Order: sequence, then structure tokens, then C-alpha cells
Amino acid sequence: MTLVFLVFSLFGFSTSQDTVALAEVAVYAPTLDRFAQGQKIISFEKKDLEAYAARSLGELLQEKSPVFVRQYGAGMLASSAFRGTSAGHTAVFWNGLPINSISLGQSDLSILPIQAIDQAEVHFGSSGALFGNEAIGGSVHLGTKAQFGQGFKGRLSQTLGSFGLSNSAFSAGFSGKSFSSQTKIYRQFAQNDFPFRDLSKPGTPEVKAQNAQTEQFGFVQDAAWNLSEKSQVKASLWWNRADRQIQPVMGSATQDTQQDQSWRAVLDYVRFGEGSIWNVKAGLVADQLTFNGSENRTRQFLLATDWDIQKNENWTFKIGTRGTFSKGDLSTYSASDQRLELYQSAKWEASDLLSISANFRQLAYQDQFEPFLPGLGIDFLILEEGNHQLLLKASAGKGFKVPTLNDRFWNPGGNPDLLPEKSKNGEIGLHWLKKGDFAWEQSLTYYRMQVDNWIIWLPQGNIWSPQNIRGVQNQGLEYQGKLAWKSGQWNWEARASYTFSQALDLTSDAQNPRQLPYTPEHQANGSLEAQRSGFSINLSTFYVGSRTIGTGNARVLEAYQLWNAGLSFSRLRWKKLQFPISFQVLNLLDRDYQVLYLRAMPGRSFQINLTLLL
Amino acid sequence: MKYLFKNQLWAFALITLLFSCESGGDERPLGKYDTGILLMNEGAFGANDGEVFHFDPASGTLTQNIFELENGRPFAGLLEDLVLEEDRLYLVANTGKVEVVNPGDFKSRGAVISDLDQPRSVATARGKLFISDYGPYDASYMTPDSYVAVVSGLDGGLVKKKIEVSNKPEDLFAFGKYVFVASSEDSKIEIIDADTETVTKTIEVSGTPVQFFEQRGDLWVYSYDAENIYFQSFHLDNLTKKNFLQLDIANATSRIALGEDDRIYILTSTGWPDYNDGIAVTSIYDTTLIPSWKTGTGFYGIGYDQDREEIYVANSKGFQGNGEVTVYSKDGSLVKTMEVGRGPSGILVR
Repeated sequence: MTLVFLVFSLFGFSTSQDTVALAEVAVYAPTLDRFAQGQKIISFEKKDLEAYAARSLGELLQEKSPVFVRQYGAGMLASSAFRGTSAGHTAVFWNGLPINSISLGQSDLSILPIQAIDQAEVHFGSSGALFGNEAIGGSVHLGTKAQFGQGFKGRLSQTLGSFGLSNSAFSAGFSGKSFSSQTKIYRQFAQNDFPFRDLSKPGTPEVKAQNAQTEQFGFVQDAAWNLSEKSQVKASLWWNRADRQIQPVMGSATQDTQQDQSWRAVLDYVRFGEGSIWNVKAGLVADQLTFNGSENRTRQFLLATDWDIQKNENWTFKIGTRGTFSKGDLSTYSASDQRLELYQSAKWEASDLLSISANFRQLAYQDQFEPFLPGLGIDFLILEEGNHQLLLKASAGKGFKVPTLNDRFWNPGGNPDLLPEKSKNGEIGLHWLKKGDFAWEQSLTYYRMQVDNWIIWLPQGNIWSPQNIRGVQNQGLEYQGKLAWKSGQWNWEARASYTFSQALDLTSDAQNPRQLPYTPEHQANGSLEAQRSGFSINLSTFYVGSRTIGTGNARVLEAYQLWNAGLSFSRLRWKKLQFPISFQVLNLLDRDYQVLYLRAMPGRSFQINLTLLL
Repeated sequence: MKYLFKNQLWAFALITLLFSCESGGDERPLGKYDTGILLMNEGAFGANDGEVFHFDPASGTLTQNIFELENGRPFAGLLEDLVLEEDRLYLVANTGKVEVVNPGDFKSRGAVISDLDQPRSVATARGKLFISDYGPYDASYMTPDSYVAVVSGLDGGLVKKKIEVSNKPEDLFAFGKYVFVASSEDSKIEIIDADTETVTKTIEVSGTPVQFFEQRGDLWVYSYDAENIYFQSFHLDNLTKKNFLQLDIANATSRIALGEDDRIYILTSTGWPDYNDGIAVTSIYDTTLIPSWKTGTGFYGIGYDQDREEIYVANSKGFQGNGEVTVYSKDGSLVKTMEVGRGPSGILVR
């Protein structure tokens, strides 16, 4: 099957040439939804990212998407759980480069500062065929966005907030017709000495958080050149360093510290043919994690190439291959890993109403061919009448995760015989769009997923060792709605979302499968924003339902709902300079809550931001 | 880690107390936790969800999280030991505190919440509280600064002194003015004079000493290594070694329970990577030796109810969530299985 598609694709390329897919003035970046028919994608708008610029990706996902984010404290480890899967079941990309730690198999969302990125998209469901390793529950796609022909742009931003928060960011860019450069430098600091009620002490006194200071700094450099009318080179480099004290769980007085340092570099060569785009990508990710002085280093080199071919109006293909070499020098072991992937995609736009895509991927790691991953999706326009559009989306696919280096080689306990985790996912959804004065966009998605060979670390005497032990059946419903209207001088926007997520552990008690730990069945969020003449006011809320802290009939953590509010004014000017200013109150009602058991979270806090734009 | 309490000894003490109460007429009503079984759940590392469950074997009623239930706040620690002394129940959290509650109603009487590192057990002597503590880890995860902390009152308070002892002190046993310390890593028993608060004597023993117990009027310490287990008794008048017994039981752990007819139940574990757990039964006074009374995986604690002659075997179930306790009669037949809290590690018979 793979071969048939490959051959077909190659022939398709050589015989057809009609449209140029992209104008050369744009810096090319493949769109996420090009072959993702029937799949759910949320793209965060620029204003969402700006509103969270002084906060973290974890907070953005928790407050504005159906993802549940496990936060181990303010600014501490934050890991995503998509559709009832675990932190390791989310693939994370930066400019198309997979950046999850190869030893841990996940990313800490707290140290992916939004100040370093220009765009963020979130894909839901198993899509190993499109995105490869780790895209079981979903994937996060971050990127920078260089542009040509923008001239000089500068930006200086300072945020001050409660509990010793001080974030500074500077960015400058210049772009002409064939060259573009953009530089960002940032520092984020928080003393994090917020007060909380210490439940571990008699009388539950209010104390200040200890050992929770965080500091992060880094820079991002993007550059793009148009080498000729038909070829483009772009390069991005991101260095990030985080120095964190690790906030202890209530009842412990640990003084742990952790430093994370990451270098990420990606170089793309793009050649525009007639009706085709050829891309060669080289990437490097070098991570260093030092916990209490114990050092762990990993490096990952990637070389990939793909061809995107628009054969005619109806057919689009993509074929590609990706080779990855990774090496880890961890505190207890050294190991390397090699992977080779072959993937292809085809899209058939049968008519204006119907488009179908099929994706395939074959991966080999070490000496194993594991597994063959298909994916299929359709978009069908059921109805288009006046301002209304009703779209049906349906897809099915598989996902997988190669056991991480730690899973296989940690000494002692690593299990080299582990099998990849595997998933099957199907979803169907309706999207209803209404344009005009009272515009809306609403979507309802039902998904069902089965994850097998789920890896859990279990104690074997004093040594913990991972095993392919868990099987989980997930299903859920995701609703998202956005409404925009105008009343008088005011522009209004309201958003609401609700997620029902069931993830049943089929292993611990097969007769009576229970919801997985830390997987809320219910989540919701909503916001209301009004704008007038550069002035904007917003109120938002999110709700996280109750969740158990362990398997079985274990302790249940209370549901919580938090409110945030903000004011901003964007039209403060002096000559050519603009001074957008904003003020935010987080946890407006000063709610005492825990995301994870006994992990203190801050009460009400304030942030004020002043930006200078040139 | 330390695994068993002075349950048998204190069950005996309690019975004695009850009898004396009856004869003396000085009757205090029994609290709801003065009878039955206290199930200790250690909790998971990083979650601090240790707790105590109460099980009434007569009615079969299991009450969860009784510390939180009675005090309106979570225990918030890893529960290392439960010690009943001086009509107080001490809950030792190896995350750095000791909570003191009334044994009958579990209401808080006080706590030691500061100046502790990794407390393991407690004993009372001369109106003072003695707390064995590993001390902090150094950079190579050793504990060179182990100590026994002294607190002036029996209801907690501030640590007034730290008595330096050998590495990794575990169980404590108080006799008169003496506090025996099982310093596990250095194969020593150190004896503290509770009046002067100093170590007055050090006795070398075989293996890793972890548990004191009393049988037939003698004080014994149980210790083990990879191949053998050892029992050493002491002359309490001149603080010297009395009897010694070495038995060929391999892979023993620190967890034991005193059963019927002076039998001793010992948890064994091959550990990584085969990981087969078992229970061996032996006796100091006769030739009883059952190397594999039970076998399984995940055994994390053991206890014995002398009244009902039932053995409680706790299974951690990989610490993923709730653990399990299985109750066997002394002939090995299954009596009951119940879901308990995270990391069940032992029982205290009331």
C-alpha cells in the first residue's frame, strides 16, 4: 500500500504542473490542516497569544482549550493531557521540529514561553500518520513567523505583577523583499512567594510559598532569504534557559532546584516548482536538565525532506521521509537511538462540498519496523445557505509512541523490551458557521479512542521499572462556540467551550473500569470581551471538574472555577510610537484551589503590562 | 523503611489496661478507634497522600482517611509509622513531621512540624518524645547526619536537641530511662539515656537491625541481610547481648509480624528484576520454618491480629492509586480482601 502510494505520488509529480502553490514573497510554512481533513484543530489568534505573552503555554491551553494541564505549582512543571491521555501522549513541534525531550518523552509547558513564539496551533486526536511519534492524544504546533517586506519593527514590553513577577521582552525585526530577520530576547522572573493555606500544619495557617522562585530567559533568531524566485532558505534558532526552585508539595520541605537549558535550531530549504514545493529540513534539539546538581543531556538531529505536489485542482499529494538520530547522556546511562520514517499524504477534493485525505506513515526504530500508521479523514459541506455553513468532519487514525530513552535504558529499571504504545482514534464533528452581523462559529466533536500498551512505571521491590500494562478506552464530547456582534460603538465577542472526557482504565479493575487519575470528566471555559476605540475589557472563566488522584476508588480533588479579568488600551501614541497598556487580574475571586493534590496555587494576583511599539 | 509497629506489644498492653480498668472501676468509654484495626497507608512519593483507614473486623466496616475525617485537614505526608504510647497515637511522616492524636477519636493533640528531616519512628521515655530521623540526604544520597530528636512534651512541640546516632536509625524501644535505637545502616543498637539525652552504649549486631519486639519477656531486635535473618535479645539490667539466632531465610525485608504461638511472619522479596514476593514463617523457640507460606507480588506490609488469629497482607498495587489488604486465617485460607489507601504498609491492632 505504501509503495503504491509512493509510486503514484511520484508519477503524479512528474506529469502535472499547473499552479504555483505559494507566492514567493511569503515565508513558506506548510499549513497544519492541508491534509488534516476531518480532524480537530484549534489555532490561537495573535490576540490570544498577546494576552498570554507574560504567562505560559500551559496556562493558555488550560484556560482556552479542552486540554487538561497538570500544574505542579505556579511556574512549575506543567504537562498536557489531551482527551484523557497522558503527558507523554502529546507531540510538540516548533517550526516543524519535534521538541519533546527524548529521555522524558514530553515537554514542560511552563518552559515554553509564549514570548518566544508567534503562532500556536493545537491538533486533537491520534494522528501518527501526519505527525509521527507521540501524537496519540494530540499535538501542539508552535512556530515563529518571519515575513518579507515589513521594514523595521521594534517592540519592548514590560510586565510587572504580584509575587515578584517581572517579565521583560524585546524584539526587533527588519525585512525587505528578499531578506527577513527577527530577534527576540526575553526574561521572565517570579519570586512566587504567594500566600496559601498550609493544610499540612495544625490549624492550617496561611504561609508564604517557599522555594518556588522561577527565572527564565532566552532568545530567538529567525532569518529568511529568497535565494531566487524559486527558492527560499529560512533558519530559526531558539535558546531557552530556566532556573527554577521546585515548589514542594504541602507537608514536605524539600529544597530541590532544576535548571533546564535548550538549544533548538532548524534550517529549511524550500524550492518552489510549478505546482510543487520541495522542502529539505535539518534540525537540532539539545536539552540539558540539571536536577539538584545531577545532569542529564540529550541531543537530537533531524534531517527530513518532502515534496508537496498539487497534481490538479482535485488532487494534492505529499511524500516525505525523516531521519532522526538521538543521543542521551543521562545521570544513570548513555544511549542512542535512530529512527527513519516514510510518510505520504493524499487529498482528493472531489467537489466544492467534499474533500477526503488519506495519510500513511511507516516508522523504523533501531531494528524494528513499528508500526504502519494510516489515517483517513473527510470534510463534507452539508449545507451552505445564505450566511450559514454546516460542515461535517469525520476522521479515523492511529497513533503510537516509541518508548522513551528513560523507559528503555534508565539504570536501574529501564526495560529494553517495551513495545510502543498504540492508539486508535475516531471522531466525528459538526461545524456551523454563520457570517454577518451576528456571526458565530460553533463546533461539536465526538471522539472515541483506545490506547494500548500504555507504559506505567511500577515498583519491583525498591526498583521502579516501566511496563506495557495499561489499556485505556477514551471517549468524549467537545463543544466550542464563538459569537461576535456589534452594539452601537462596541464590538462584542463571547466564547464558550465544554468538554466531557471519559478515560476508563481497563487494567486496574477490568470488571469495573474507572476514570483515570487526574482526568476531569468535565471542563468548561468562557469569555466575554467588549472593544471600543482601542479600549477593551474582558472577563473570562474556566472550570475544571473533580478528578481522582490515583487509580481505584481513590481520593477525589474538588472541582474549581477561576475567573480572570482584564482591561487594555491600545491607542496610546506619541509621534510614531505606540504604547499599548493592559491590566489583568488573575483568580479574581481569590479562590483557594489545587490542580494536583497538595500543590499550592496562587490566589488573586495582578499584572500590568506596558508595551512600546515602533 | 520501617514497617511494623509495636502492635502486638501494645495490644497486650491495651488488654492489660482494659482488665485493670474493669477491676479498678476507673472506666473511660472506648472511642470509636479504640477497637478494630488501623490500616496504615504510606501514600505516594510527591503526593503526600498518606492516611489511616479504620477496619472493624466484627462488622466489616471500613472507614477511609480517618485523620482527615476527624481533623478537617489532610494528613499531608508520607506515613512511615504509627506508634501507640502513653495513651497517644503518634503518626510519623517521613516527609518531616509527627502528628499526635487521641487514639480513641483521632483528634489532634499536637504535632512536631519543624526541625525534622526524615523521621522514622518515635518512643516516649521520662515524659519526653524521642524521634529517630535519617537526617538530610547529602549530594550522594547518603545520610551522614542521622539523629534522634528530643521533644520535651509528649504532645509535640519544638525539637530541643538532636542526638547524633549512626546512619539511618529506624525503630526505637523505650525501657525505663533507656531508649534503644536500631541504627540500620551501621548494624548497631545505640542506647540513649533519656535523662542525659546522650548515647550511653553501642552494641554491634548482625545484619540490618530494623525492628524491636518483645517475646516471652525478652526484648529482641530483628535484623536481616540478603541471605539470613537474625534475632538478638538483650539483658535489660546490664544492657548486654543475651541470645542470638541466625536463620537461613534469604531475601527478607524489614517487615515482620508476630503471629500465633510465638511464630514470626516475615515478608520476603527477590526485588529487581525477578520480583517475587513471599511470606516466610519461623520461630525463635522451635524449629518452625515455612519458607513460602504465601507468594505473590506487590507485598508491602504485614500485620497480625492476635485476637482473631488473622494475618493482614498489604499490597501496594504499584502505588498507582488505592492498594489492597488481604486477610488470611492462620491456616492460610482467604478471609477477606479490601481496597485501602495508597501504599498500604502495615496495621496496628487496637
